[in-house]
Amino acid sequence: MTGKLQLARRTVQAVSFFFLLYLIIQAAFPLEVRIPVDLYLRLDPFIAIVAFLTQGEIIIRMLPALGVLLLVVIFGNFFCGWFCPMGATLDFFDRVLFREKKRSKPINDQPLKRLRYGIFIFALTAGLLGLQVLYLLDPISLLTRTLVIAFYPPAVYIYNHLLPEIQRFLPGNPFILPAMKLPIFKVNLLIFLFFAGVLALGVIRRRFWCRYLCPLGTLFSLVSRLRIVGRSVSDACVQCGKCPEECSIGAIPGETPRQYRQQDCISCFQCLDCPPEATTFGFHFPRWKTAEGVSLSRRYVVGSLAFGVFSALAIKTNPLQTESGLKNNRLIRPPGALPENKFVAVCTGCGECLKVCPNNALQSTFLEAGLAGLYTPRLVPRIGYCEEHCNFCGRVCPTEAILPLSVEEKQKIQMGVAKIDKTRCIAFEEEKICLVCNEQCSYHAIVGDDKKRPMVKEEICTGCGICENKCPVDGESAIIVYTSGVQKKVKPQPESKA
Amino acid sequence: MDSFSRAKLTRRDLLKGAVAAAALPKMFFLSSYSRPSVAYAAGDADLVIAQQGTPTQLLQAAMAPLGGMGRFVKKGQRVVIKANIAWARTPEQAATNNPELLSALIKMCYQAGAKRVAVWDHTCDNYQFCFSRSGLKKVTQEAGGDIYSGHGRNVYKKVEIPKGKKLKEAEFIQDVLETDVYITFPLPKQHFATELTLGLKNAMGTIWDMELLHKIDLHQCIADINTVRKPDLVVVDAIRILTTNGPKGPGKTEDIGEVCATTDMVAVDAYCASYFKHPKTGKPFRPAEIRFIKNAYDLGLGEMNLSKVRMKKVKAA
Repeated sequence: MTGKLQLARRTVQAVSFFFLLYLIIQAAFPLEVRIPVDLYLRLDPFIAIVAFLTQGEIIIRMLPALGVLLLVVIFGNFFCGWFCPMGATLDFFDRVLFREKKRSKPINDQPLKRLRYGIFIFALTAGLLGLQVLYLLDPISLLTRTLVIAFYPPAVYIYNHLLPEIQRFLPGNPFILPAMKLPIFKVNLLIFLFFAGVLALGVIRRRFWCRYLCPLGTLFSLVSRLRIVGRSVSDACVQCGKCPEECSIGAIPGETPRQYRQQDCISCFQCLDCPPEATTFGFHFPRWKTAEGVSLSRRYVVGSLAFGVFSALAIKTNPLQTESGLKNNRLIRPPGALPENKFVAVCTGCGECLKVCPNNALQSTFLEAGLAGLYTPRLVPRIGYCEEHCNFCGRVCPTEAILPLSVEEKQKIQMGVAKIDKTRCIAFEEEKICLVCNEQCSYHAIVGDDKKRPMVKEEICTGCGICENKCPVDGESAIIVYTSGVQKKVKPQPESKA
Repeated sequence: MDSFSRAKLTRRDLLKGAVAAAALPKMFFLSSYSRPSVAYAAGDADLVIAQQGTPTQLLQAAMAPLGGMGRFVKKGQRVVIKANIAWARTPEQAATNNPELLSALIKMCYQAGAKRVAVWDHTCDNYQFCFSRSGLKKVTQEAGGDIYSGHGRNVYKKVEIPKGKKLKEAEFIQDVLETDVYITFPLPKQHFATELTLGLKNAMGTIWDMELLHKIDLHQCIADINTVRKPDLVVVDAIRILTTNGPKGPGKTEDIGEVCATTDMVAVDAYCASYFKHPKTGKPFRPAEIRFIKNAYDLGLGEMNLSKVRMKKVKAA
């Protein structure tokens, strides 16, 4: 019975993980899947609450997350044990990488147990003051970002190198298929190392991340004490000590295994593997009483709060974050992005837009947008330009940090304006006939003069960056898109041109 | 779409007709015989211009005096068509090939016994958007052909250009180099940098580093790359041409309603140049005014002087 239940749970976990993977893979041209590719993020109540608070209004796309929260409040936390793709990943690697025997004996983990509440308070405080560390720790955003930035490019790399080998075995195929364009992201190693670090923590304790760090799990813990599905232990219990050891989240105290901390329980049902068959799960009346576990002293809470406030203040007074520091005129945000302050507060850095961008134009920031804007998307034209007939990034953004615009609306957004460096442009410097920028420009914003040298019509330039991307000058382009920091609408053009 | 595919005789056609005024009676006489069913001897003309008709009719009419597709495509051969799908534009905007004409061309190759027909282009915009918005992916696949984009460097092969004056080596699409039959399928457009984009310039979509050519000498490089794999057949899609804001558009278009078929890639460019007016003089372009045509002629790639070309105009319908 319990064996079947665990099998079912692992199957659900695997399906959940691979469904997330499927959705991420589907986040690409032509983006015609019925299910939103950012489904998991939209179901994440932690992101929803923080985004509602920082955005100051309800984001319609994130409303399903409140449904998940409600279910957890009523039925207890089934999400982490069954559906969380991060939990599935950790369960898998905990089994594969680390042998149970090698783990240290259970120690008193009371200080660690408080840690995630401390982190939660710290992250929430800092977040509301403008430093988005909480998005970096949100498991769904973290996993999506890691898959997109750290694992997607190597997968394409391997595919491209296997392609000729595969095609050698295909009969009647005298030629080779074009390789996929290799996506590149600057911060990939950083993100991979963080993820590897999270996995490595499993050597100390199973689901170390979930037990002691995860803010989403903490949120579920905070709200699910009054659950109506729960564990009960009959008098047949012989205190064999199996369930406290088996519990993957550490919700059963070793001394009093007949009790449990119902708010921490992730309904994995591993404790049902009970030798005297004393443990059952079923509906019961909500009860407030719970086993002792975490003691959050006033001192601890205030300390976490103060730490969050100070961190946010330290960031705000850092030169990177000050007004002059943020005047990075090469920091082009995706079309339809919220104003910079709001954008960094609402963007979760999940990487969906990076994945869906057909030209690999959107890149993850490191420090270019300040510390508060870590891992947010920016347009880097030299790597890729913003495709004229594409509005994918806005369509996949779960928190609407990039507004979902129609293609026509998007074409009118001015992200920046291109400027020609006449000292490097070969039409000016070497009097070559080039005009690549003119022929590539989708909006007729670059015209040639009588000597066939390019000129930018700034009022209709959208800053898509195709000119910067295709400029044949080596290294830095001779035509560069600069932004004023605010996205505007281009002026409507009279039709009678040409 | 209907009005778009229907060709009409414009004033310009008549003017051009006046150039060959002596040939006019003969032309009309011939037109009654220029049904696709009529078999012509191979090489009855070197440059055939078909007028008036649906895209399919135009293509059949243009191919017949050349000896039909059977002259170029033999049974079991592989055919590569270098189409112009460089931009994410709709067919009506005339920045990409006419879908109906491409479909007819592919089907004609299969009728002649082709084993497999592949349509290639190294697009400028993102290839997925180009293929879907131009409608050319759909018609190619419906006609049983394969459509490929040269966005991956692995499909290219580096070759030397012994006859090249300025460009000595370049990476070409391997399929273009090695195929049995290579058909280039350009569409005439205005082009700010080179004045016009025609059949010779269509070859730029078969190489990897297009931007490099601009740095060296665009006009000479266009001629140079055409020395490597000469097309066995040139089919020019002049049903609707782009006359301003080229090559990407959208701009003004003009319904010429012609399809040209030839084996001489320089001659057809010289002919198609006259579709456009010189921005300064206001007169139709003369072949020598387009430098890449002159450069290609100098390299011996074909005949630029149209009076020396066996040209034939036929009515398709």
